[in-house]
Amino acid sequence: MANLTNLYDVSKCTACRGCQVACKDWNQLPAVIEPFRGNYQTHEDTNADTYTIIKFIEHEDDPAEDVTWNFIKYQCMHCLDPACMKVCPQGAISQTNWGAVIKDYDKCIGCQYCTYACPFEIPKYRKRDDIVTKCTLCYDRVEEGLTPACARTCPTGALQFGDRDELLERAQDRVKFLRANGFPNATIYGKLELGGLNKLYVLTDTPDKFDLPVNPKVPGQITFWQNWVQPYFGWLIPLALAGSAVSFVTTRILAGKHGEHAEGGHE
Amino acid sequence: MKVTRRQFLKVTGATAASFAVVELGFDMSATASGVKGLRTKGIKPVPTICPFCGAGCGLVVYARENAPADGPQILSIQGDPDNPINRGGACSKGSALMNLREIYNPDTGEQEINPKRITKPRYRAPGSDKWEEKDWDWMLSTIAKRIKDTRDNYFEHKDSNGIIVNRCEKLASMGGAALDNEELHLISKMNRALGMTYIEHQARI
Amino acid sequence: MTNHWIDLKNTDCALIMGSNAAENHPISFKWLTEARDKRGAKIINVDPRFTRTSARSDIYAPLRSGTDIAFMGGMFKYILENKLYHEEYVKYYTNATFLVKDSFDFEDGLFSGYDPNKRSYDTNKWAFETTEDGQYVKDMTMEHPRCVLQLLKKHYERYDIDTVCKITGTPKNKYLQVIKTYAATGDPAKTGTILYAMGTTQHTVGTENVRSFAMLQLLLGNIGRAGGGVNALRGESNVQGSTDWALLFHILPGYLATPEAQKHPTLAAYNQKETPKTGYWVNKPKFLASMLKSYWIKDDPEKSYYYLPKRIDGKNYSHIAMFEAMYNKEIEGLIIWGSNPIVGGPNANKEQAALANLKWMVAVDLWQTETSEFWSYKALDRATDKDEYKIKKPKDIQTEVFFLPACNSYEKAGSVSNSGRWMQYRWQACNPVGESRADLEIAHELTLKIKELYQGSSKPQDEPITHLYWDYGHGAHPDLDKIAQEINGFEVINGKPGAQVANFTKLKDDGTTACGNWIYSGCYPAVTGKPEDYLARRRDNRDVPYEGTKPIGSYLNWSWCWPINRRIIYNRCSATPEGKPWVEDLASIFWNGEKWVGNDIPDFGATKAPSDPGGTDAFIMRPEGVGCIYSKCNEGPFPEHYEPWESPVANILNSQSFNPVVVEWEPDKRGTPDKYPIIGTTYRVSEHWQSGVMTRMQPWLAELMPDVFVEMSEELAKEKGIRNGDNVIIMSTRGDIKAVACVTKRFKPHNVHGKHVHQIGVLWHFGFNGYATGDPANRLTPHIGDGNTMIPEYKAWLCDVRRA
Repeated sequence: MANLTNLYDVSKCTACRGCQVACKDWNQLPAVIEPFRGNYQTHEDTNADTYTIIKFIEHEDDPAEDVTWNFIKYQCMHCLDPACMKVCPQGAISQTNWGAVIKDYDKCIGCQYCTYACPFEIPKYRKRDDIVTKCTLCYDRVEEGLTPACARTCPTGALQFGDRDELLERAQDRVKFLRANGFPNATIYGKLELGGLNKLYVLTDTPDKFDLPVNPKVPGQITFWQNWVQPYFGWLIPLALAGSAVSFVTTRILAGKHGEHAEGGHE
Repeated sequence: MKVTRRQFLKVTGATAASFAVVELGFDMSATASGVKGLRTKGIKPVPTICPFCGAGCGLVVYARENAPADGPQILSIQGDPDNPINRGGACSKGSALMNLREIYNPDTGEQEINPKRITKPRYRAPGSDKWEEKDWDWMLSTIAKRIKDTRDNYFEHKDSNGIIVNRCEKLASMGGAALDNEELHLISKMNRALGMTYIEHQARI
Repeated sequence: MTNHWIDLKNTDCALIMGSNAAENHPISFKWLTEARDKRGAKIINVDPRFTRTSARSDIYAPLRSGTDIAFMGGMFKYILENKLYHEEYVKYYTNATFLVKDSFDFEDGLFSGYDPNKRSYDTNKWAFETTEDGQYVKDMTMEHPRCVLQLLKKHYERYDIDTVCKITGTPKNKYLQVIKTYAATGDPAKTGTILYAMGTTQHTVGTENVRSFAMLQLLLGNIGRAGGGVNALRGESNVQGSTDWALLFHILPGYLATPEAQKHPTLAAYNQKETPKTGYWVNKPKFLASMLKSYWIKDDPEKSYYYLPKRIDGKNYSHIAMFEAMYNKEIEGLIIWGSNPIVGGPNANKEQAALANLKWMVAVDLWQTETSEFWSYKALDRATDKDEYKIKKPKDIQTEVFFLPACNSYEKAGSVSNSGRWMQYRWQACNPVGESRADLEIAHELTLKIKELYQGSSKPQDEPITHLYWDYGHGAHPDLDKIAQEINGFEVINGKPGAQVANFTKLKDDGTTACGNWIYSGCYPAVTGKPEDYLARRRDNRDVPYEGTKPIGSYLNWSWCWPINRRIIYNRCSATPEGKPWVEDLASIFWNGEKWVGNDIPDFGATKAPSDPGGTDAFIMRPEGVGCIYSKCNEGPFPEHYEPWESPVANILNSQSFNPVVVEWEPDKRGTPDKYPIIGTTYRVSEHWQSGVMTRMQPWLAELMPDVFVEMSEELAKEKGIRNGDNVIIMSTRGDIKAVACVTKRFKPHNVHGKHVHQIGVLWHFGFNGYATGDPANRLTPHIGDGNTMIPEYKAWLCDVRRA
């Protein structure tokens, strides 16, 4: 099965934020109302009830030229080689055969180890049901032949969904066009980063102008654990991490919270 | 004739009612991860038009059938892929349509009727600082009496020149830009029969 | 819109001016993006601030709020001097060739015929030259000094690039780029569209702003053509319908003027004064008689005409006037259908105080609007105590208030008309919440109750109610189809409905037909028992092209559109005078040798050949048959630049400071630049809608825009010691509000007459109820309106700002 993914073309996005709300409608997420801080982007980051946000970033390189107002959709990148999946002690995170990194919330124990492993700091802990949440690439829709809620609602076609290889070709053509039409720094993001992301971006400028990590990396400590310790000695993690910055993770696992689930204390 | 959801299902445009069930154009049945099923599977979407701006984008409402009348019923509201104006697209406002009826509680995550919706008629007595709930019949009867009193007290059948003017300048009507055409027809008719000259709506502001 | 949303994909250039289309009509960018991708179209945005629309435009040009006419005037001058107009179109389809009488004159900002005491013109001074038998005198060479084209050239002689840019503050290079790019659509093979909204209309010169767009489009040959048009992006789902249905003081359904007592005492007098001798409006008596029959089916139109309320001749009953009257205790009872004037109305403090002078008020809405709770403690709270209209306590307000809970748009059924005049149906999808009811049921039941109270009355003054035809089935639920059938119209036989009429061409003036709204006649042409008898319910979304042509996005079998399902109005202009499409790929209608055919319903006599008399009179609703470059707006035949009522600078084009024909309601409330040096403007964002009473109640939208904010430049913020995110107070002569500062590079001071002028912008969606709350920006805006429509000047007024 080929990888299926989103291609997001910033040059066509009007930041209407239909995607942000459609995501809430489909994933049944409540609003998180925070104060206005002087930017249209009211959530500084994604949160446990907001899987995707549009970032609003102003730039002014030359005061004689127009200001640039960049919009970018931010959410789980569905890494082709997902660090979060490797570190999950409960095997709650998996990857579908078409590239969505998904989570079984019945297995999640809220240990938050995945939140430390993610190079994009995407997964977020949700207190009310003690789980960590993130974008699922609407795998429940996709597997019934529907596009993800965000791509389906995008009014301008800035977000498309389909075969990753085909979308990559489309992205390359688009970048070529943009470079020839006033955006010399236009580029693709997600093709090579971290060995490839299952989210592709067409950017009109370099990734830093869109608040994207230029060369994203999985945190070093995590790499070691995920590649060596977790696959073979998963039971060592809690012990080895005890007393470290993420010691709270260990408490969760040692407490055997998952056992409570089995007894029906949680839906 | 009353047109209900059932009757809508009889409306058959050439490609209508298909609702582009398969959007991707290829079969995904072999890939099912099986963790979570499609929430709206088997539910017939009902088409509507967005109540916000003047674009007239189509949306479809997925509502649980046989859900209790006084509780949450909406599964999802999304852009209507068959509507040629928006082809399934919807901005933030269009995508938020469910909230006009229901919300997810931020503390519990549970779906509930939007607590801001007013569910019973309310009356505020002169000088009062609060509402009282009243029944519909009392409200409509009392309003009809107020209208009649004002009209009868200030109606001008003829003006000072003897011209028949049939007007009451003490009554006014405002609004209508969010109503349906059929509603506007009735209100326009009612207002003019009452003799209103102060009739205004949002096009002026 | 003369055209429609999907047609935006056919354009070669879109000028978005006075609209923030990407934010307030997001779907517009679906079709504009397609035009750009497939046709290489250019998108131009002219706006005082850099918006999400600007971010997605090819060219952005700033202008100072309230200077659109100067901007357009410079375009006219450039286009005329460089002969960039579409000459054949201008010659045959506009009044450019008409000669004007020599009583027309213009001097120092005033046209001939001005009466400073009445603040109005004698428009007879601007008449066209006619022959003895009443024919218009034309000069087809367009060289006669008194022909419209030459007068136009002369009028805009003063609008050179330097002068214009001094007024508007637009950088010269940007201005030229806009002109050249847009003027390229004067090429007969190209079309350009203008998208506008309240940024254009909410000025004391709002109508003239729109006029200037129409003039530009006529000069460039862009009206009546696919990809062209003057397109008002309407802000509410059915503000088109509520205008068509005339919930307005000055018109009856279908754009018939409301009768005035002295001028129109009888039906005969009305018909005589209101019916032109030529053009399609010669049919007006049929439309009015049929409307009267749909209201009072058993009475002859001559009699039921008396039932219609006659307004006092010349009296203004518009929104501002209504609230002034209410403030002066001239109104006793008000019924509000889904409207929130103490957030949405100008000078909201005064409008709130006006409500307190009502004896009773009815509000119908889904939510507790701010207006419905204007008497509550939270409504009386203010940012500062400098409010002269303030009433301190609920006990001081004697208004009796009735609140009726309405259900939402998908809890009921009915149709709405979008900006493109498409009448689309919404089916009921679920139960209404609680005891809420459809406005249809509320209006129906209320009318029945009123009729019941008047039952048995034999007073002639009660006949409008006792005779009112109200037959929509039994019980609380009116039969929606019966209402729709009445809107479409039917034959009347012995005071009873007969067969449906096919459309408005079948309406009669003798009382034998009834029709609720003639422009909607044709929406329910026959009753066969199928749901699709109501054409608004049609859902065939195939765009089938006319044989041998390419589809242009008409979708003629999707819903229905007025008039007679015509998707682009004035479409005779889409063809050359000889009847061939200007552009083959975008054939709207054309002459096939026998009749007009194509991808739309012809807006012309179906068999009137191009060579027949009047065969090129494309503007059938106009008595002259042509589009008006020269017209009779209250301010004059050509738009002239006047400063806003409140302006930080003097008018450098003429010595009139503001529009000479506007009514000044509150001269003492006019702010001056010494105290209020900053230009204020109000606007909306994508995530909220109008007075916010819907969207502030929707948590998913409240979280996206949780508070009222004021946008300002970094330069102004520095001068005032304001940091991004600070709370600030904004002050005008009308009131003060609190807001959060949004300090942004997207706002720049305007360079006007060589000095820096600051502008700020405030969202007007906010009020005290909902998940997101904040002060209403309209506490700042003035009670002054446009010279024709009386739309308030929300977009340019004076204020000051300080840290809270």
